[in-house]
Amino acid sequence: MNLRFLRYFGLCAPLLMLGGCSTDVFRLFHPTGPVADAEYRYTLILVGVMMLIILPTLALTIIFPLRYRKARKAAYAPDWSHSLGIEIAAWGVPFLITAVLIYYSFNGIYAVNPYNPKILDSAASTATAPLKVDVISTDWQWLFIYPDQHIATIDDLVVPAGRRVDLRLTSTSVMNAFYIPQVAAMMDAMPAMYTKDAFLVNKPGTFTGFSGEFSGAGFSWMHFATRVVPTADFENWVNQVQASPKQLDYTAFQKLAQPTVNIGAKPSYFSHVAPGLFDKVVQAAMHGVVYNVPDSLTKGVADDEGKAGAKAPAHS
Amino acid sequence: MATMTKAGPDTRLWNPEADEHDSISARTFGFWLYMLSDALIFTGLFASYAVLSTPMNLAGGPGPAQVVNITEGFWQTLLILGSVLSYSLASVALKAGNKGGVALGIVVAMGFAAAFLGFGLHDLGGLMAAGNGPDRSAYLSMFFTLIATHGLHMIFGLLWMLVMLVQIARFGFTADVVARLLNLRMFWQFQATVWVLIYAYVYLMGAY
Amino acid sequence: MHVDLQGPWSPLLGRLTLGAIPYTNPILIGTFIFAATIALIVVGTVLYFRKLPYLWREWLTTVDHKKIGVMYILVGLVMLFRGFIDGVMMRTQQVLADGPHSAGYLGAAHGYLPPYHFDQVYSAHGTIMLIFAVTPILAGLGNIIVPLQIGARDMAFPYLNAVSLWLTVAGAALVMVSLFVGDFSNAAWVGLMPLAELPYNPGVGVDYWMWALQIASIGTTFNAINIIVTIVKMRAPGMGWFRLPVFTWTMLSTNIIGLTAFPVLTVALALLGADRYLGTHFFTAGLGGNFMLYIDLFWIWGHPEVYFLMLPAFGVFSEVIPTFSEKPLFGYITMVAATFAIAGIGWSVWAHHFFTMGLAPNSIAFFSAATMLVGIPTGVKAFNWLFTMYRGRLTITTPMLWSITGIVLLLVGGLTGMMLSAPAIDYTVHNSVFVVAHFHCMVLAISAGIFSAVVYWWPKVFGFKLDERNGLAFYWAFVIGSVLVFVPMFGLGLAGETRRLDYLYDPQWMPLLIAEEVGIGFYFLSVLFFLRMLYVSLRDRVPAKGDAWETGRTLEWMTHTPVPFYNFAVTPQVHSRDELAWRRANGLEEAKPDRYVPIHMPSNTGVPVIIGLLAAAFGFGLIWRIWWLSGVSLLAIMVLVIIRSFNKNEGYILTAAEIEAMENKIETASVIAEQPKRLPLSEVEAH
Ligand code: HEA
Ligand code: HEA
Ligand code: CUA
Ligand SMILES: [Cu+2]
Repeated sequence: MNLRFLRYFGLCAPLLMLGGCSTDVFRLFHPTGPVADAEYRYTLILVGVMMLIILPTLALTIIFPLRYRKARKAAYAPDWSHSLGIEIAAWGVPFLITAVLIYYSFNGIYAVNPYNPKILDSAASTATAPLKVDVISTDWQWLFIYPDQHIATIDDLVVPAGRRVDLRLTSTSVMNAFYIPQVAAMMDAMPAMYTKDAFLVNKPGTFTGFSGEFSGAGFSWMHFATRVVPTADFENWVNQVQASPKQLDYTAFQKLAQPTVNIGAKPSYFSHVAPGLFDKVVQAAMHGVVYNVPDSLTKGVADDEGKAGAKAPAHS
Repeated sequence: MATMTKAGPDTRLWNPEADEHDSISARTFGFWLYMLSDALIFTGLFASYAVLSTPMNLAGGPGPAQVVNITEGFWQTLLILGSVLSYSLASVALKAGNKGGVALGIVVAMGFAAAFLGFGLHDLGGLMAAGNGPDRSAYLSMFFTLIATHGLHMIFGLLWMLVMLVQIARFGFTADVVARLLNLRMFWQFQATVWVLIYAYVYLMGAY
Repeated sequence: MHVDLQGPWSPLLGRLTLGAIPYTNPILIGTFIFAATIALIVVGTVLYFRKLPYLWREWLTTVDHKKIGVMYILVGLVMLFRGFIDGVMMRTQQVLADGPHSAGYLGAAHGYLPPYHFDQVYSAHGTIMLIFAVTPILAGLGNIIVPLQIGARDMAFPYLNAVSLWLTVAGAALVMVSLFVGDFSNAAWVGLMPLAELPYNPGVGVDYWMWALQIASIGTTFNAINIIVTIVKMRAPGMGWFRLPVFTWTMLSTNIIGLTAFPVLTVALALLGADRYLGTHFFTAGLGGNFMLYIDLFWIWGHPEVYFLMLPAFGVFSEVIPTFSEKPLFGYITMVAATFAIAGIGWSVWAHHFFTMGLAPNSIAFFSAATMLVGIPTGVKAFNWLFTMYRGRLTITTPMLWSITGIVLLLVGGLTGMMLSAPAIDYTVHNSVFVVAHFHCMVLAISAGIFSAVVYWWPKVFGFKLDERNGLAFYWAFVIGSVLVFVPMFGLGLAGETRRLDYLYDPQWMPLLIAEEVGIGFYFLSVLFFLRMLYVSLRDRVPAKGDAWETGRTLEWMTHTPVPFYNFAVTPQVHSRDELAWRRANGLEEAKPDRYVPIHMPSNTGVPVIIGLLAAAFGFGLIWRIWWLSGVSLLAIMVLVIIRSFNKNEGYILTAAEIEAMENKIETASVIAEQPKRLPLSEVEAH
């Protein structure tokens, strides 16, 4: 269904002008890949359906006060306060609209269900095995582990184009949310448990990922690069990272998970990632392992970010 | 207008007699509403208990079956029912206007309640001594909190009874005092009901 | 039970040290000087004019529902202003801290606020606006108007009413104190879990948030009981359920929500408190804790809470629109039904706040559908207001303008809310500023209701109208400000800006951010116009009539303006839904009572305000872990309550002759005028 023209509806037009006449800024108008496409399509459908009732109501809210002002001496019915027909319509029309909305909402839930998006069931995306990526949010960085490749990165998610990516997400400490506006459904990363997310992007491109759930001092810097690259480039990149001198076992991970503000979201790369690291992190959180945020990072109203970051490591 | 009655010559516009509002019934209703909100606090706690009593929440610590003491709980239930009964006898005496009877009923109710609390403290104390305090696991946090919240209600009731004893002695059965005694009765039955629910849900269902 | 606190503790002062006072932070010092100056001016004026006894006698110790309402609203407006300043700080930070090359000032790497300060600002803003600004203002309106609309002398429990007020004030005071002693929470108004737990928030901030909320919500629960009993038990003769004014209906439904929802918050906060103070593990990630339980409990309260705030605003629209349309409200019965439908459905939708937590698709579907159902009764309300205006004879006064604006905001907020309730959309904008823009439309609709109500009922309380010209300027500045701030915010949400950012990643957002900052300028103007409106109206004080707008329909317009402290000289007999309109139609609106009877009035008491003070001390002691202070305050509260229960002071009697005299000389009987000095009943008996 092509409903793109709806983009220019109502609110959007002034927004576009404010945005300097370019729609590039509006990431959600540029969905990439089947999941984001579907989300965008549902947005247009639902907004379109609602406009059928919201716009007329809005119009009447403006028209009636203008038309029935005292000065205009329009028709006046001082006692009229009831009409069965209108009241039935007042309940019935929203009811119908709501029914339609619920119908599309249900469809949408299963289509883009982050655990298992129906929209990705097509042949193209099941041809190759999905790429597995385990995502751990720490205070305050994103660690991406590629369990099959035994590599890991910080704040740099690189995936091959045209291949489904299956994510598992957890957190070392507090809640976070994994969010790449143009690409994948937002999904929370929580300590002591894991959630799932999945996406697929067909064409190479670069995107920005953000953390969606506030998590403390370094939250604003928890954005990460997302690079979708051709399969060959991906293999190359994996090989490069596999040669990285930095290695990641659980002990190294514990150092890394100490609260740090990564100003500038600078990436790092690790080879030889210990197998099962992700599960171990989940288990550890269940057993009460916490990475205390030092008081200097929570109380230092007058501290600047740099100093706060420097002060961070202090073991629990 | 459909709802409009026409005014006639004998239409009454002011109603000077309407001023006497029955403040006792307003107070009783208000107290019911308070108990409703209090009941919702317990609902919240019960719901939390349901969530926090799965094997996941034990963190390797003891679970319901090891924590609850059914027999002690049974005696506690009897004590609390005895206390309610005794307070009810006090209300019977209240109808007869019998000061001594009311006071006696309340004192006995207080005695039962104190014994109940003694059992409870012994129970919780034992758990803590064995290293199973509320900081041991989420389940134990919840167990202690539920029991303690109920216990606090009882202590509050005891304090209230104490005050009422003094008020009966000083004022006799004035409207205020009677209203308070009646509200206290509702409160006391409410707290006992909560205990019975705890006993059924936490003790009996936990143990079996 | 060991709780690991970082930093020192002493028995006398708990965790409080000189370091807790941020005397090195220029922003806070500035704020402190500002606040201290205002406080000095206020206190100085009071002392200079020797008004302290008057304040104590007529306000601090009052149990009059109208004065209590006025104080509620005053506190709310001051907090609204504080919340606005927080909004200014956030907007300014975000416009300064956009892009990697943005400059840093005052020691911040970007913008002028380091992360933890910014986080406290938005957490305080959300908490203050919802709990300490809008809630008290609406409670105040209910207090003033409900007894008048149902023809009652007072609230059912005047003394409890004062206690509610002072508990709310105690909570608000704690939030204000956190500015200058220690910090406020940085875990958002919702108390993000497990972020609000001790390992991640070892300071006192979360404790400030938690205790302020806890104390104030006890006050709100008491107030809910009071209003419900008042409406159920104190209606004037003839006022059957279906003659109840719609504002009173909405206050009833709102307070039923309040009474039943706030206990859930109490539980959530109490369990969090146990975690932070006793070392339990309710909401920790490890040792069996379950922080999703907190999130559930919070939103089981939190969602009904937003309708708790919205419904009274709906009530205001339903009073203002008929009055200025000179027509009865369209579809009264369906209006009432819709009110309760909203309140009811509101209980089953809470999970729409966490669609992204990985719930099973089937439960997501349930909560999505339930949420969307709310659109139906809300739509009914919108249509009923429209058809009230249809074939009306409209006078577009400022209250009317605000109400119409409220409907528009409701439609925009409703459209976007319905979008969010579809998970496929929510996955793309959850926790983005799109959500922030959605709910600001809604809370601005509430604000519109509030401004509408304040202007509408102002003459009833004070005896003169507010200046329309400045009111109009205030309106336009506020509306333009709102459009400029929140329309671009929708855009930024679609651009992927997540909420609660102290540093923004994308320099391309700049134009929209600048538009928002311009909006803040208009907001500033609006505050100036608001103050000017107060000043001009106070200076001119054109006396208003009993039926100040001349087209009032409900009972409150039947008594004098300003309302005498005894409300109605004689309780009216009610014949119709819009009693005053009915009397007008029958030419009876001027009818005076032919005889007066004595009125029993409650006496003033200083106990409530002292309880409020003690409650604040109790909270402060807990926050800083000064155990003796909390213990002593709690004990003192209990002793006070017990002592008062021994007090037989049962108010005083106003004789028929006195009432007649006052009715003939009404200026002396106004709310703001002093009440006659009167001996309490018990002492009269003793003589
Ligand atoms: C009732 C609720 C309410 C109200 C009215 C407002 C009003 C405003 N809010 Fe707020 N806001 C929230 C509730 C509210 N907000 C909540 C709950 C959050 C989420 C917090 C969180 O994330 O945890 C939030 C978050 C929030 C953000 C955070 C965005 C982010 O997360 O990145 C921002 C940023 O711009 C913002 C701005 C504003 C502005 C500019 C106003 C303006 O509309 C304010 C306009 C007000 C005035 C202009 C004052 C008028 C005053 C008077 C007329 C009285 C004058 C009286 C005296 C001087 C005595 N709000
Ligand atoms: C007073 C406040 C208020 C009100 C009234 C509402 C009303 C609604 N809200 Fe909103 N909401 C908030 C305050 C409010 N909300 C706040 C504060 C948050 C964020 C909290 C936080 O995270 O900090 C929030 C967040 C929020 C979310 C979570 C978003 C997220 O975090 O990702 C959702 C999702 O479903 C939602 C939905 C709705 C819906 C469907 C309504 C409906 O009630 C709207 C119904 C109205 C209409 C639909 C318009 C009129 C109707 C018609 C003209 C009839 C016909 C129309 C149709 C049938 C479509 N709201
Ligand atoms: Cu939320 Cu797991
Ligand atoms: Cu909600």
